[in-house]
Amino acid sequence: MKPRQRAGAPMTRRRFLGAASVGLGLASGVAACASTKGDIAPKSGRRVVVIGAGWGGATAARYVRMADPSIEVVLLEPGREFVSCPFSNLVLSGLRTMDSLTRPYDRLRDRGIRIINEAATAIEPDTKRVRIGEGYLAYDRLVVAPGIDFLWEQIEGLPAARDTVLHAWKAGPQTVELARQIQSMADGGVFVLTVPPVAYRCPPGPYERVCQVAWYLKKNKPKSKLIVLDANPNIVSKTALFRTAWEAYPNIDYLASNKVIALDTTAKEVRTEFDRVKYDVLNLIPPQRAGAIAVQADLVGADKRWCEVDHVTYESVKHKEIHVIGDATIGLPVPKSGNVANAMGKAAALSIVSLLNGKPVPLMPPGNTCYSWVNDREAIAVVNAYKIENGKVVQIEQKLTPAQSVSVAQRAESWRLSIWSDMLS
Amino acid sequence: MNVRLGVGLVLGILALLALTEEGRAAGPLDNPGFAKVITCSACHGENGNSRTNMMPIIAGLDPAYFKKQIESYATGKRPSPEMEPYAKEIQFLGVDQIAAYFAAQKREPTPIRVTINPALPSTADAIAKGKVASAPCVICHGEKGAGDPARLIPGLAGQAPGYLAQQMLLFKQDTREPDDQLLAAKKAVMRAVPDSQFADLAAYYASLR
Repeated sequence: MKPRQRAGAPMTRRRFLGAASVGLGLASGVAACASTKGDIAPKSGRRVVVIGAGWGGATAARYVRMADPSIEVVLLEPGREFVSCPFSNLVLSGLRTMDSLTRPYDRLRDRGIRIINEAATAIEPDTKRVRIGEGYLAYDRLVVAPGIDFLWEQIEGLPAARDTVLHAWKAGPQTVELARQIQSMADGGVFVLTVPPVAYRCPPGPYERVCQVAWYLKKNKPKSKLIVLDANPNIVSKTALFRTAWEAYPNIDYLASNKVIALDTTAKEVRTEFDRVKYDVLNLIPPQRAGAIAVQADLVGADKRWCEVDHVTYESVKHKEIHVIGDATIGLPVPKSGNVANAMGKAAALSIVSLLNGKPVPLMPPGNTCYSWVNDREAIAVVNAYKIENGKVVQIEQKLTPAQSVSVAQRAESWRLSIWSDMLS
Repeated sequence: MNVRLGVGLVLGILALLALTEEGRAAGPLDNPGFAKVITCSACHGENGNSRTNMMPIIAGLDPAYFKKQIESYATGKRPSPEMEPYAKEIQFLGVDQIAAYFAAQKREPTPIRVTINPALPSTADAIAKGKVASAPCVICHGEKGAGDPARLIPGLAGQAPGYLAQQMLLFKQDTREPDDQLLAAKKAVMRAVPDSQFADLAAYYASLR
């Protein structure tokens, strides 16, 4: 989700994760703490450490401080600025800039949150420490908000090509590079987008991306087409609304139940269970799992992909006093969305503050508001409300907008500004 | 006597200490409403003080008005794909406590100075035109747009302009609470207002303090 460097070095993130997985968080170019041995910041009072400052982690850090400023909060995040995945599909169609998705972390610092621009390299639940290279940070409660990582090896030929085949599924340099490739494609060129099998980050995201790219191509490269290879049997989210929106885009060729199994970058071809498809520009969104640190710290379940948590406190079912939030979780009837990560961040934060103060934990069911842009001026939305029954999150209702409209897009715009403020102000 | 006095003194000191301890621990979570409204801030801002164009400010709302809206959203009388599910979540959490929580929050007027209507002239022009057009609104909402809680008439002063403009349209189209007799007079007024004036009226009321 966070860009490790600016445009021009689009693959830094992957190299970084590779380095992090062998225990060296140095690739971000910020070695202030990674070179520190022993206790990086000795703990004086009660402390919450948060790993990851995306939609969930930033919110959790902020709400711990809001609810009890006597608790120290340390936020570990290699990225220097927040970059939003929601709205990043609009960069691909040229309607928005990366700057419009980027916000500083300064207001969180103003709240007394200590931000360390490093990646956690390991978690030690027994000693209640997070390792950062050679050093460590002690915690009373830990929040793990690592987002997602990719299962490269599930597609033949992808591990070797992962530095050149774009996912653009973490907003940042890859988003900029994919926009550039789409703009440089010849009129008549073929853009191929592959959708991974559920569960993956942002269920409607691939289909919003289809709208945005199709809109751009229709306007600027009318002889081009867009082939969608979907591993799922149908559009995963807002199905009927996207089907209607796509009626405006005859340049879309949508192939359901067509899972990509192999890639040949020399022949510029992807292979599915049924077809071989040639591309000029490829956007391959690989299958996903929880962010690397969650897997490495044994917070994932038997599937080795996602983290099961308590539905009230978001405490891991595998390790006490570690709370996992956002896209890395599984088992709640909620989508992997930014709004849900924000809601989980608040509930986890207030649970932690309650527990550290010896108070009962209130029931705080999540909510989900999710907008998708279907062209340059209209959007659609899905909204989910929940309750907690017998300790489990249960959906009360899901509601869709009746149709795409300018009015929904205006509300999407206000939602964007409001929820970023709820995370970062 | 001395022993009693001593015991009394010690108990008194203990009670004082307990109070001090209580005072130190007092935080937002000591208000049970705080944990119940955390979902709302994603759209409605901190403590219901939305800073955006389309999301209404709900801080300081009269509780009876708030509860009527939640009821209307939940039953679909006030159709909103966003608010219908959330209204049901609020009912699950306890609408009385949530209405009381927002009613107790200090209302901070919107910082938004213009609506997003691209046809709008300058903000000052719009506000001036809106003031002229507001004559029929004043009858119920008052000279300064403060509203009248006793008659479930909300304050408009300092409200988010995009939200105001959208609600005017919904009233005019009679899609907001269609069978509500309390709103019949309001809708009759809105039917006489050309759509082109909504943005000006919204800019005017958003600017009022």
